Amino acid sequence: MFNLTEEEIQRYARHIILPEVGGAGQEKLKQARVLVVGAGGLGSPVLLYLTAAGGGKIGLIEDDVVDITNLQRQVLHFTPDLGRHKAESAEETMKKINPLVEIDVYKERLTKDNIFPLLEKYDIVVDGVDNFPTRYLLNDACVMKRKRRVEGGILRFMGLIMTIDGGSSACYRCVFEEPPPPGTVPSCAEAGILGAVAGVVGTLQATEVLKLITGVGKPLYNRMLQFDAEELSFHEVKAQRNPKCPVCGENPTIT
Amino acid sequence: MAGIGLDAEKDSKVLSFETKCREGEAQTLSLVVQGKKVTYRGPADMRSLLESRGENTLYANVRINGEVLNRRDFENIPIAEGDEIDILYFMGGGIVQPD
Repeated sequence: MFNLTEEEIQRYARHIILPEVGGAGQEKLKQARVLVVGAGGLGSPVLLYLTAAGGGKIGLIEDDVVDITNLQRQVLHFTPDLGRHKAESAEETMKKINPLVEIDVYKERLTKDNIFPLLEKYDIVVDGVDNFPTRYLLNDACVMKRKRRVEGGILRFMGLIMTIDGGSSACYRCVFEEPPPPGTVPSCAEAGILGAVAGVVGTLQATEVLKLITGVGKPLYNRMLQFDAEELSFHEVKAQRNPKCPVCGENPTIT
Repeated sequence: MAGIGLDAEKDSKVLSFETKCREGEAQTLSLVVQGKKVTYRGPADMRSLLESRGENTLYANVRINGEVLNRRDFENIPIAEGDEIDILYFMGGGIVQPD
């Protein structure tokens, strides 16, 4: 039968009972290798759901400490964690949820020097980064290494989700060619973020990851979903690969 | 980024928009904006449309009839009857620049 223990069969019973997932899908989750970049607003729900779902091996890269202003939305961390490294705090919470999951912790910032060796260890990448330079670095590296990636962004009452099959579907640069100049796009610290919006977007990212792993349904490829909490509406924008894209176009300038 | 969501900024945008309209540049256009049919009355350029909707034009790309425009000179982007327009917001997360 499936390579699942009795405990796993019970723990994941509500997955296994779904015909689209079943024991085979749960086993795929057990074999999965997912890298989550950032354990903040988006990373929190992503890590919580992936851990609970039994996503076999989860890599977590984060270089910040828990600040009191994080707690309004970064639900992986608790008040007693103030001042702790987010990677440690995240790991502790995740282990409490599901000790069966293997967690790799990287207490560092993602840079051009560490990104490629890191990507080699994982099949799917989740973007929960907090700045544009890292977001573009992640996009470019994932396109080059043909990794599947679930992109997410949040600001004020809005969110954005896009799933990218590196080198095959439209990438982030196909839609947003260059990072905005520093200072033109406000950060959550400057413009604010409704806490639960991070939960909505991060949970959608987690859903996409679970779909990618199990092969259920249709990924959000070549589509960008914008969430507007004020209207409580979703707007889907079709995204096409841009032949002039500097990283996945016909004559890439970023190599 | 100064003035996000400040009334003063919104007021000045509305004011400049109304001024343009008074100058007789206004047109009435049927558009599809963010998937919804709208009737827009104002000057036929992207900046005026965005301002009429109270959008912060600094942090968006626009997509007209399927083509994404990676540019910020919205005043030079004409809009026309029947255009399908999506506003694609940049959303970066917590900080503007890593240290």
